Amino acid sequence: MASIAAERYTGASIRRSEDPRILTGRGRYVDDLKLPGMLHAAFVRSPLAHARVLAVDVSAAQALPGVAAVLTGADLEAMTVPGPDPLLAMMGGGGPMPEYSLLATDKVRFVGDPVAVVIAESRYIAEDGCELVEVDYDDLPPVASAAVALAAGSPPLFANLGDNIVGPHKRHEFGDVAGTFARADRIAEFRIDVHRQQNVPMEGRGCVASYDAGSGHLTVHAATQGVHVTRMGVAMRLGIEPEKVHVLAGDIGGSFGLKIGASREELAVAAASRALGRPVKWVEDRGENLTASGQAREESFDVRAAVSNDGDLLGLDVTMVIDTGSYPVMGTMVPGIVEAMLPGPYKLAALGFESTAVATNKASYVAYRGPWASETFVRERVLDLLARDLGLDPLEIRLRNVAPRTEPPATMITGRPLVGVTTKESLERVAQLVDIPAFRRRQQEERARGRYLGIGLATFIEAAPGPRSPGGPEGPMGMESMRLRLEEDGIVTLFTGQMPHGQSHQTTLAQIAADEFGVPFEQVRVVVGDSDVVPFGLTGGSRSATMTGGAALHGARQLKVKVLDFASHLMEASARDLEIIDGQVLVRGDPASAIPLGDVARQAWQAASGQFGADVDTNLEVETLFDGGEGGWSGGSHCAIVEVDVETGLVKIERYVAVEDCGALINPAVVEGQIRGGVAQGIGAVLLERSAYDEDGNYQSSTFMDYLLPTACDIPRIEIEHLETVPLDEDVNFRGVGEGGMIVAPPALVNAIEDALSPFGVRIYEQHLPPARILELIAAADRG
Amino acid sequence: MVDIAVTVNGATRRGSVEARKTLADFLRDDLDLTGTHVGCEHGVCGACTVIVDGRAVRSCLMLAVQATGSDVTTIEGLAPDGELSPLQQAMWDSHSFQCGFCTPGFVMQATAFLTAHPEADEQQVREALSGNICRCTGYQSIIDGVLLAARRSREG
Amino acid sequence: MSWPGRPAGNFARVKSRGASDDAWRVVPMKLPVVAYEAPAALDQAVGLLAEHQDEASVLAGGQSLIPLLALRLARPATLIDINGLRELSWISVADGWLAIGAMTREYEAEESQPVAAAVPLLAAALPLIGHEAIRSRGTIGGSLAHADPAAELPSVALALDAELVVRGQSGDRVVPAAEWFEGYLTTSRGPDELLIEVRFPAAGPATGVAFLEVARRHGDFAIVGLAASLTLADGAISDARLAFAGVSDVPVRAAEAEAFLVGERPSSDVFEEAARLAAAGLDPPADLHGSSEYRKKVAATLIRRGLRAAADDAGKRR
Repeated sequence: MASIAAERYTGASIRRSEDPRILTGRGRYVDDLKLPGMLHAAFVRSPLAHARVLAVDVSAAQALPGVAAVLTGADLEAMTVPGPDPLLAMMGGGGPMPEYSLLATDKVRFVGDPVAVVIAESRYIAEDGCELVEVDYDDLPPVASAAVALAAGSPPLFANLGDNIVGPHKRHEFGDVAGTFARADRIAEFRIDVHRQQNVPMEGRGCVASYDAGSGHLTVHAATQGVHVTRMGVAMRLGIEPEKVHVLAGDIGGSFGLKIGASREELAVAAASRALGRPVKWVEDRGENLTASGQAREESFDVRAAVSNDGDLLGLDVTMVIDTGSYPVMGTMVPGIVEAMLPGPYKLAALGFESTAVATNKASYVAYRGPWASETFVRERVLDLLARDLGLDPLEIRLRNVAPRTEPPATMITGRPLVGVTTKESLERVAQLVDIPAFRRRQQEERARGRYLGIGLATFIEAAPGPRSPGGPEGPMGMESMRLRLEEDGIVTLFTGQMPHGQSHQTTLAQIAADEFGVPFEQVRVVVGDSDVVPFGLTGGSRSATMTGGAALHGARQLKVKVLDFASHLMEASARDLEIIDGQVLVRGDPASAIPLGDVARQAWQAASGQFGADVDTNLEVETLFDGGEGGWSGGSHCAIVEVDVETGLVKIERYVAVEDCGALINPAVVEGQIRGGVAQGIGAVLLERSAYDEDGNYQSSTFMDYLLPTACDIPRIEIEHLETVPLDEDVNFRGVGEGGMIVAPPALVNAIEDALSPFGVRIYEQHLPPARILELIAAADRG
Repeated sequence: MVDIAVTVNGATRRGSVEARKTLADFLRDDLDLTGTHVGCEHGVCGACTVIVDGRAVRSCLMLAVQATGSDVTTIEGLAPDGELSPLQQAMWDSHSFQCGFCTPGFVMQATAFLTAHPEADEQQVREALSGNICRCTGYQSIIDGVLLAARRSREG
Repeated sequence: MSWPGRPAGNFARVKSRGASDDAWRVVPMKLPVVAYEAPAALDQAVGLLAEHQDEASVLAGGQSLIPLLALRLARPATLIDINGLRELSWISVADGWLAIGAMTREYEAEESQPVAAAVPLLAAALPLIGHEAIRSRGTIGGSLAHADPAAELPSVALALDAELVVRGQSGDRVVPAAEWFEGYLTTSRGPDELLIEVRFPAAGPATGVAFLEVARRHGDFAIVGLAASLTLADGAISDARLAFAGVSDVPVRAAEAEAFLVGERPSSDVFEEAARLAAAGLDPPADLHGSSEYRKKVAATLIRRGLRAAADDAGKRR
């Protein structure tokens, strides 16, 4: 197993090194930054969902004292390079990629589409200037839903595409679909809808761009999940050599997938800084964040399930439509991941999957924590619906269909092996913790008193990072790079392309490196957020525990070899006999021989050429590339117990239990925080959050009065138990956990609500269940 | 422009501000006290919470001109000389926060609440903090930090 | 809550009051330029209102007005900040009335023993107003002058037939609550008048109260709220007050239900009939948080539950 000499830190809930600054208000977020001569940007935004822009008159705005410049879409076109969204370009969507301008030029395509940018001495004045910009719009019929987008003759958002299909219909089959359906005892059909919802980090998007005309360098202080992706995006659109773009990131107030690459507004601000030769700041306000930053999850599924009378789920045939909003970012990529993940940890023998992605006059579909999450929602809903139809218990139908853990492992019909998956164990354990039979008895008693309690189960796996593919990981979500260096003062520095925005990497990576290298936790420094200094990387996809944890572990090990090799020349001992304990290098068994690491490092860094011999390496730095090792799945089973007030539709979550398997834990408190935060977003999605558009494409959820986030009174204590995992790798068994909570909580909760309402005959085919909707479902079931 | 004089974290700070400037923006822009964060600017998220004349207040819902003559404490004023307040210490020990953006608002609101209600139970703490939004934690770790601080101060 | 001139839940098509026809706005967040007056005495404030009338907004607690300004939905030329008027911050109980100065902070009323003793319905409603930080600044007068139909205090004032005292240049005027709420965010306060005092009749010994609301989250505005008060005499209801929040553009008294209840003995059947009568007369608005039908159902439910709670409370107070 691991050769970690003293596992003092790994596995313990070490207090975070981020917290002293966070708790005292000394974090450095983008909006905290002030540069000399800095100006502020505000955007004029379209109040119409779909319209031609006939004219933009900026003269009154330009004349306002304190306004430095007003730039239109045409102005920005002239100073930038056309292209698709940087994230889309990086991930390679495959579908048609409409090129679009940073600000709307001839057309606006959603309410909030930026049309002009006012740059002024203060944000207050910039907004005053926005009011003075006059835009002449010619209304166009809005494409306000996927149904409208799919209809023949729907006005195309992008002239060069001809219609609003941005992800053309494609169908794949896995296994013998026709045969499976022909042989099945019964076919069940469902239409399931997931609603539009969004990331809503507490800090909006934003940046400070600062162009230095003398050097031709552009510095961008960004809130981003990866400084290099931002750098490449800015360089590409501004037509600057990438080496002349420097991206810096400090503390980031959450993201959940939103802040990747560079948004149109950030690119406009960068271009403005170059045009004006002064730093320009833009941080979106909450109205912009809700209206324009992007939304996710609006997907519909027509599902046919081939089932045996005993409850075997033999096959699924699914048709998916995804509403990717206006300027495509990553919506076109989601169906492929949904398809790949749909079988989950079950024995599904056949899958037919077809999808279409459409553009509509809504804000763009962006990555939101577990972008493929609908596959778990659909699958776990279908299992409960089937169970209800067949008179089976929800636990029973799942255990019946779970793929057993075999050697070699079973594979999903879509290809990936279910190596190390502990679904059966987590289902059984969560059921045990909750004591389902006792609950059922209580449920009966309470129903007699007119109280409606329900229980819901759901299980999931997530590729965090998942088993290594034969071709090996590629691209920005591929191999993980890290540079490690022993400094002259004995500090071990880790340079990583990870960009934590709540994940506590500065603590967790230091825990691993400290243990592996042999230094106190305080003697490790994790450097992030400087594109001149850190290797390529991206925080996302729940990858960092394995990929970066593994890079830290192996990198620390490699650095230790180097350091001990060098130290052996200082200490006249074989490197084999040396060890590092508590920041000291010593001969094993001889404490008197100990030398502080700083002394060793100083001698190496200050060595004259050849001082220790021509073949002695004094460069105490390593670069390592980690391929994920035998990385595996994370997963788990969650259970919610709810009470529904059937007179008001309000739902109270009485108990929420999560049994998780995310491999070895680096820092249990960090892991549990990630799980709870994800579950909270899932609860929010079901009970409170909806990005609502009306039939004219007007956005209705543009303040916190209408887009409702869960509060401390809405999220219960979430009980978490960790499963003893199946170790797959000799050293690196940490697996990611960032997205699972958000993926599995919605179906667990909806399953519980349906269970509570089962006396009324309610069946639920949607994810958003505000109180009014619950009463509608009860009334409809009563009537039907 | 209106001249104002506000006591902030124990020191008199003067400024000349437009009437329309919020207290939040005055603290952040004019006084460089960027610890107070702006999360919504319409009084719902609580990230901008400071203590004014002993009461927790949303600084985005107060004009700077209204604070003249008042006593304001911001997050920077809780731990002068670098030593954390008992609540900050308990929150550190409880892993209360992740991205940190909501943190100053929670710390100020909880500080005011615990001062007035040192015996509060979990439900009361949840209700008292239900006007502060956190997107990262699911709240449990924050509640635990507050309850730990209360327990420690009861045990002396 | 909804903003003036705004179809509930929809920002995009809002026209800012006072701005040109072309000034369609999408979610600004910084306040617009505004002139500012901070009178040091009440007569000065009244004089300023006489001068500026509709071109001025009175800034009291600011918890409702400042967001409207930030969103640029309110565009007064001048703000008259009355936070300096200490003479408007007081609480007194005399001659069977609780009188409160308009600038009394919500938290002060919430912590006040005289308020709890004299007007328990008000005491029941106060903790439901937003969150503690809102109540630190929000004022009793401000809430009633703003008159959001989904807010708590308007329904309490209407239920109890409170009296609102306004002062103009020509002197004071007492307005019964039934005549105060004219429309959405609109009261019978003249543009040159300042609300200076609110009076609530003190509750008798055999009176039980309940304030219930259905809201999406703790502290939110009510989707539907109910202020309920029952007075019992020899086991029968001698007086019933029921006023809704959130069912119209003003708070609404369930007058038919109240009339029915007088003389009845509290029972589930009686409460059921009262609920039916109360809901039948309603035509609530629809928005993102609930349809009209939903609000009617919830209104009926709140009547049943509110009457039960008020009857139980009356039993305890006897």
